[in-house]
Order: sequence, then C-alpha cells, then structure tokens
Amino acid sequence: MTAGPALEVKGLSIKFGEFTAVDEVSFTVERGEIFGFLGANGAGKTTTIRMLCGLLIPSSGSALVGGLGFADGGKGIKKIVGYMSQKFTLYNDLTVGENLDFAAGLRKLEPRYAAKRRRELFGLIGFDRPLNTLVASLPGGVKQELALAAAMLHDPEIVFLDEPTSGVAPASRARFWALIRKVTALGKTVIVTTHYMDEAEQCGRIALMRTGRLIALGSPDELKASAFPGPMTELDFNGSAPAAFLENLEKAPGLLELSPHGMRWHAAFKDKAAMEAALAALPAAASCTLIKPSLEDVFIRLVEGVER
Amino acid sequence: MNAFNLHRAYSVARKEVMHILRDPFTLALALGLPVMLVTFFGYAIDFEVRDIKVAVADRDNGPAARRLKEIFAASGYFRVLEPAGNPVEMLDSRRADAALFIEPGFSRDALGGRPARVQFVLDGSDNSKGAVMMGYLPGIQRAAATRLYGVEPPPAPLSIETRFLFNPELSSRWFMVPGLGAIIIGLLAILLTAMTVAREWENGSMELLLSTPVRPLEIIIGKLAPYGLLVLIGVFFVYLSARLVFGVPFLGSHLLFLLACLLFITAALSQGLFISVVTRQQQVAMQVGIISGLLPSMLLSGFIFPVESMPAFFQYFTMILPPRWFMEAARGIFLKGSGLAELAVPLLALAGLSLLLLALALKKFKTDLEP
Repeated sequence: MTAGPALEVKGLSIKFGEFTAVDEVSFTVERGEIFGFLGANGAGKTTTIRMLCGLLIPSSGSALVGGLGFADGGKGIKKIVGYMSQKFTLYNDLTVGENLDFAAGLRKLEPRYAAKRRRELFGLIGFDRPLNTLVASLPGGVKQELALAAAMLHDPEIVFLDEPTSGVAPASRARFWALIRKVTALGKTVIVTTHYMDEAEQCGRIALMRTGRLIALGSPDELKASAFPGPMTELDFNGSAPAAFLENLEKAPGLLELSPHGMRWHAAFKDKAAMEAALAALPAAASCTLIKPSLEDVFIRLVEGVER
Repeated sequence: MNAFNLHRAYSVARKEVMHILRDPFTLALALGLPVMLVTFFGYAIDFEVRDIKVAVADRDNGPAARRLKEIFAASGYFRVLEPAGNPVEMLDSRRADAALFIEPGFSRDALGGRPARVQFVLDGSDNSKGAVMMGYLPGIQRAAATRLYGVEPPPAPLSIETRFLFNPELSSRWFMVPGLGAIIIGLLAILLTAMTVAREWENGSMELLLSTPVRPLEIIIGKLAPYGLLVLIGVFFVYLSARLVFGVPFLGSHLLFLLACLLFITAALSQGLFISVVTRQQQVAMQVGIISGLLPSMLLSGFIFPVESMPAFFQYFTMILPPRWFMEAARGIFLKGSGLAELAVPLLALAGLSLLLLALALKKFKTDLEP
C-alpha cells in the first residue's frame, strides 16, 4: 500500500462515439473517506465509477487509483479495488459458500486466507447462516451485505459501491450504511453512488454530477452553505397557497430558490434583508419558519435549477 | 498474472458445474435429449421403401399369373391389390403406387416355355420412390424366371455385378444414425454455450467478473470444459443407442472416435461461445444458434445430400462446417473402420475449425463495458 490519496482524478473524460458520458471530471479522495456521487440517472455516476474500477478505459484525462494508472489497461487497478455493481450481486442458484469461493478463485486467494477473510467479513456484516444456504433464499438486504463481503474478500484498499441499496427495504438500508461506516473505520476508502438524499447526507463528501459534469463538490454542510449563503424559510399557508402572493414572491429581488415541498414551500434568499422585504406581504393565515436547507434543496438548486 | 491462469479457469469451470447441477432442465436436456431424438428420428428416417401397393389387372387368371403375384407379395416390398376397376385409376387417386397388367395368354406362354410379358406401370410423380421400385424389379424378374421356367435365366453377354462394401445390407439406418447423432450433438453443444456468456451479460454478472483480474481466455476455457464433458456423456448415450437399438456396426477404433468427438464438440461449443460473445442476449443467441447450428448441418454436411453432388461453390462452402467433417469421420469409423491415416483430413479440419472459432470468440470478447 502506497501513501498518498486513494483517488487522484484530473480531467477524466470518456466518450462513447459522439456522446460524452463523463466530461472533464477532477477530484481527489483521501484514504478512509466515504465519498458519494449524487446525481440523476444518466448523470455519469456509474460510468465514472466503472472507469475508476478499471472496467472502462478513459478517453482522456488521468486517474490514479491507489497510486495506479491505466497504463496496463486497468489490470493493476482491478487487483486493489473491490466493486459491487448496481445490477448484479450474487448468483442466486449458488450457495453463499460457492459464491464466495468463486470470488476467491477469481482473485487467486489461498484457501486458508480466503476462509479467514470469510470469517472476518461474516463477523463484520453479522452473517450467521450456514454456508450452504442458497442465495435465492436470502432477503435482499442480507444479499447486499454478502455482496459487499464478496467484493471485499481480497481485502481491497478502495471499495466502489454502485447504488448498493437500490431496491432494499429502508431498515436494511440503514443497516447497510452502518456497515459502510464500519468499513471506513477499518481504514478503507468507500466510493458510493446514490440518489437517496438521506444517504448522501451520510457521506463525508459528495460530488454532485449532472450530464457528465461534476457541478459541485464538498461535505454536505459545505454544499448547503455554498448553495444557500442566506437564510431559508419554510412557508406554510395553512391551506392552498395564494397564487398572486407566490407570483410576486417569485419575482422578488434576492430570492434564490422557491420550491414546493408537499403542502409547504421552501424559499431561500440572498440575505436577511431580502427575505424580510419579500415576506412583508405574507398573508396573515400563513406562517414562516427559518429552516436549515436539506441536501434535497441543494440538489434542486444546483442540478435542477440549471436545467430551468 | 501475465498469461492464462489455470486456477482462475478452474474457478469459472467449478462455478459453471454448480450452475448445471442446480438446473435439472439443462442436465436433462444435455444428457437425455440427444439419445431420445436419435432413437426417435432414427426410426423415422429410413430411405428403404416397403409395402409398395401394386394394383394388379389379371386378365390371364392362369397358374403362372397367380405365381407371379405370389412372387411380388413374397418379396417383402410389394403388397398386391386386386381391384375391380381400372388399376390406372388407383394410381391417379394414390391408392396404389404401381400397376401390373397381366394379359391373357401369359400362363400359356410362360408354361409353354415361350417368352412371356407383363406390363408394370409406376407412378413417376414421386421419383425417389419410383427409382427404388425400379431397383427391386430385376430381382423379381429373376425370381419369376427361375420359378416359372424352372431354370436360372442365362447370364447376359455383359453384366455388371455390384456389391456394396462397408454397408453390405445398404441399410439406410446404419448410414443415417451416426449422422443424425452428429447433427443433434452439434446443435446441443452450440445451444448450451450460446446461452452461457449471454446470460452473464444479461444478468450483469459479467460486469462483476470483469472487475476482477480474470481474463477472457480463462472465462472461455472455464465455460468450455464443463459443457464439453456434459456433451461427451450425451454422445456416449447416443453411441449406445446406435449400437444397441439400431445395431449399427462399429468397425473402427474407439479411441479415434473419442478424439473425433472431442474435436467436433470443441468446435461446436466454440461456435456457441462465439455467438454468445457477439450477441450478448440469450434470446438472440438462441435463435442464431438454432439457425446456424441446424440448417447447414442438415443440408450441407452430407447428412442427406452427398457433398460430392453439390455445386462447386457449396462443396467449398461445406469445408467451414464442422459437422461436414465429423460426419465423414463418424461414418468412416463406424462403417468402414477407417484409421488415423484415412481420417487425417477431417480430423485436422475439425481441429483447425475449433481453433479458429475459439480465436474468434476470444477476439470478440469485450473486456470493457462500453455500451
């Protein structure tokens, strides 16, 4: 294991024919981080991760993964990273033991070492069923945890998880994120993609992607502070919102963002003065509360706001 | 790390064996279907024509005419019908395949030692059947002459004696069953592997495989080996059926036959892998597998139509078809007892085609996930 950052990415791009799937992405990930990619479908999260796993060769730019580049076609990278894909976890018609043996065989692990790793990882994920359990009979959350164990059997420094919790029950999702924190506590670096905002909140830093570009990067608090430098309030009209008021509010100077959240509205302003001016005409029946912006607000402002 | 790694190939093979063992359908398909199909179609495919219906118009009604009819019936090939009406109408309505006219005076002439004639009219619309009937007539004529005149007919001044070597009974089954086995085994092998790589692409597991240091050749060999063994067991059952059910003689060397089978199976499995690697979709792979595995081997391998009688272009074209070479080898080993020397060309051709198809599959095997 070499010193230095886990990932060092500079101007990374990939083109499929004329289509640029990832466009000039640059960032650095330190060891032990939980680094999240947040973005809509087709934003380039999965493609970026696939490049960093050595599954796709970039068209231009450079990336050092654990200090290794693509000079050998990604073969070196494949040895030091673990990857859990979005679509497939484990072979359903094989048992837990057979799946893990297969993963160990592909990575040429010594049987004794593989067995030791298996016990360690079973401890980590809290798996206590027999090895000859058919994967098909396991609940989705457990399957996901086992897939993580299979991806970590060779003790990789960096683990890539592509939407690891898609299609998993909420309780299992929370369990899986606890597991991710345990993995980073062991000194591993975890790169994860998601489109769940609550999951993104749990990342150390988030890279926000849109149409192949990295449009914001930082910790959840940093992103919120940079997207919303001024105050944000939640407006509750106690009924349907008066159209005229909203129309005026939208045109108010200093308004950064106005978006519906269920029956309520979130309004963000440049500064306190702008907020007070804009809300002077607030109907009597309505109430307003100062709130902290959520990542969802950030996402709406940075990703969807650009599209408008 | 650099080159082919046996351990990783073995891991892939072991996983594939588990898939097969967990899937009784594939197992039954591979082991049971070939022998079932060979036995079933082996009975159906028979070029010998029996039970030819001959409508007889006996206007002689003498003892010689009766004897002639008996000779036809006793041959085992003809069934004598004596309709009330005109026999030619029976031909029209397909109630009879041939008509025999015995004119008055036949018995008088035959028993008096004078030349006697009958007329045999046959339905030429089915020319293969007609040709077979024509083939039976000289034998009937010979038997009739012997019985009616009490002497063997004198030999013609010039005669061509034919004798069939290798398949003395000219049993079409002996000829067809090994060929049928080749076609069914070939198709099965193609279909088995055509599904495997496509399945991994479809369910996304290929992405996971490729995220490890495993190499395409290791995946291909790992998938080839277990299916090769499976198909070989299927071949063994077909062999048993050919020998025990159809009594096909086996004159050659079993070792040589095993070698020919291994080469042919490898070629067919590689063809399936190539299809799978290129299509990446199970359904497409299945369709391409059936079309490319069935039609050429049925029509162009020499199974039904001899390669030698095809137009020149097709004679060359058949050379790229593994079943054509295996057909030659299998029939040679079964019926002629051909040895390595006689079969060098087909065996080398099979080996060459196997390598070519494997190389193609490997070349087309994409290791990146570019859509």
